[in-house]
Amino acid sequence: MANIFLITDRDSVVKKYEKLCLENSHIFSNSADISIIEDMLNSENYDLVLIDNKIKFSSAISVIKKIKSIKDNIIIILLIEKDIFDKDISKNINGFITEDFDEDLILTTLNINLRMRNSLQKLSDTNKDLADSLYRLNTLYNTSSQFAGTLDKEKLIDYMIEGLDKSLSFSLTCTLSFCNYNEPVLILNSLYEISDELMNAIKLRTVLNYKSLFEGKNIPYNIDENSLKVIKYVKYPANRFNFTLFQFDNMFAPIALGENFYGCIEIFKEKHFTSEDAKCFQTIAQQVSLPLKSATLYQEIIETNKKLEKLEKLKSEFISIVSHELRTPLTSIKNSIDILLSGRCGENSQSAEKFLSMAKQNVSRLSGIINDLLDISKIEAGKMDFHFKPVNIHSVVDYVKSALSGLAKEKNIEILVNETADLPEIMADSQRLEQVLTNLLSNAIKFTPDGKKITISTEFKNTSQIQYHPCFFDDMKKLSGDYIIVSVEDEGIGIAENELLHVFDKFAQIENSLSRKVGGSGLGLPIAKQLLEAHKGAIWCDSELNKGSKFHFALPIASSAVKENLISIS
Amino acid sequence: MKKILIVDDELDIVESLKFVLETSGYSCYTALNGEDGLKLAKELIPDLIILDVMMPKINGYKISRLLKYDNKYKNIPILMITARSQEEDKLIGEETGADEYVTKPFDLEEVLRLVEKHLSREIDGNRNKQNA
Repeated sequence: MANIFLITDRDSVVKKYEKLCLENSHIFSNSADISIIEDMLNSENYDLVLIDNKIKFSSAISVIKKIKSIKDNIIIILLIEKDIFDKDISKNINGFITEDFDEDLILTTLNINLRMRNSLQKLSDTNKDLADSLYRLNTLYNTSSQFAGTLDKEKLIDYMIEGLDKSLSFSLTCTLSFCNYNEPVLILNSLYEISDELMNAIKLRTVLNYKSLFEGKNIPYNIDENSLKVIKYVKYPANRFNFTLFQFDNMFAPIALGENFYGCIEIFKEKHFTSEDAKCFQTIAQQVSLPLKSATLYQEIIETNKKLEKLEKLKSEFISIVSHELRTPLTSIKNSIDILLSGRCGENSQSAEKFLSMAKQNVSRLSGIINDLLDISKIEAGKMDFHFKPVNIHSVVDYVKSALSGLAKEKNIEILVNETADLPEIMADSQRLEQVLTNLLSNAIKFTPDGKKITISTEFKNTSQIQYHPCFFDDMKKLSGDYIIVSVEDEGIGIAENELLHVFDKFAQIENSLSRKVGGSGLGLPIAKQLLEAHKGAIWCDSELNKGSKFHFALPIASSAVKENLISIS
Repeated sequence: MKKILIVDDELDIVESLKFVLETSGYSCYTALNGEDGLKLAKELIPDLIILDVMMPKINGYKISRLLKYDNKYKNIPILMITARSQEEDKLIGEETGADEYVTKPFDLEEVLRLVEKHLSREIDGNRNKQNA
């Protein structure tokens, strides 16, 4: 059965084809009025148009072109006297029937054309479906790649809506998002403008949808339609949606992954959603959840890092303030004591002198502790500057020995130096090395009883020749090649074997009455260790309780290449 | 008598410096903030300035820079007192042209030694100028 339309102004032709069509159960209509023809073609779905070449109201070719302009793919068959017609016409028609065709031939001609049309139609429908599927697949693929490419939650929501728009061409999406901005927000992506009344209805509907997801369970965020923040994007603001919007086909889905809830989305479309549309919608809403989770975790990491950075900054600010605020009053105390001790205010009694000296000693001890605290915090923050230059280790030893000779003399301790001649120079910050050696030597003086001796020695050794207690293995295994070893040996109280491991820990001064008496910040050795590590060296010790301790540190003999490198760093 | 200007917001430190310098035969002037210190420096043109870094209104670095870039005052030796002893602080100080640095808590005898060193150097410098 086909729907056939005949254009002719000859009654005989009408009669002939009407009879033929009705006998073969085709639907038949005809007209010879150009305006009616246009209306009919616009409103009806004709399969085939027959047009008489002899029409009088217009030329056949102009009518054919008119028909083509209205329905491009309609089958047009021309009725002619003989099979002679010009090329312009032949290009625009599917076939012709001459007056000498008998009924069978006419029917065959019609049927062949109708069948061809049906086949083409089917083919084009299949193609269209295929193209649709391909397009949708492509959209899904693009959307997932976009999802994978960002950790920005606002962008993820944007990509989701963009993907839905491309694959489903919706009228409106209402996305309730809990994951971007700092509060729940309703994002409307609408084809047309939305009035305030409609907006309120949409808000209410969204909140109800959201609450329905958690019936009988705890709602993750409490929201209220009156205070809900809305972000609205309108594609064509000249047009408006009215309340018939709620009669549109719609779908709803949560955006969630396991326990993590990020929001929900409702989508409206004037035409019906197919089952494929529904699948596509669910897929996209699900797909966005995973990157949202990653993005949430990423954001948490960033925030934690920011907090840590802030803490780190606070710490260094604190150290800086402490150093200023402690040093200033300390200076006043020291100055006062110094003035009194200098005798500028008159003679002091013997006991006044004694107590002033005590105060002076403790001030210098306190300022030592402040310096140590500052050093360790600077080293830990990586802010300690080193000025590497070629250094002769013996000049360091000589300097420290003479600087501390007064202190040793007070305790009647002899400092012996056992130097190895012709040691190569090392690349070092001599001030820092002096700091290390001063620390070791002053410790030795502190812990050595009056009248005993301390020996400083220098040696040249290969890593393989260095012996050390196994508890220093982790630090010592980093060494390789040739080193200068500086050792400070005392005859002091010594360190128990089980304490050796903790000698270089912060605040790890071994607890006994003597250490409390000799004082110190407990930071000297950890600072020495850090300073040596900055020189690519190491520090370790041997000791026997009540017999004495030997502290050693190793500094690498730098090859010329390393020297240049160190110079360029410093 | 040589004039020394002491600029520090810590009254106690100012007092102790003043006492030691005056008992050593110098004439001392004092200011308790940077602004007063700068005014006094320009008014008095002292022989030496002892300058604290951390002060309200105008810090010691700024004062040092202002004086050292002005031909009228650039020959006044400046002894800077810092509380932080950080390398970067020293760098800023060098740019500002201070002549000496002492870190809190400093030694009064050390300050006295540095003052003497610069004031005798200044005398030598003037002599050289006269000779030239």
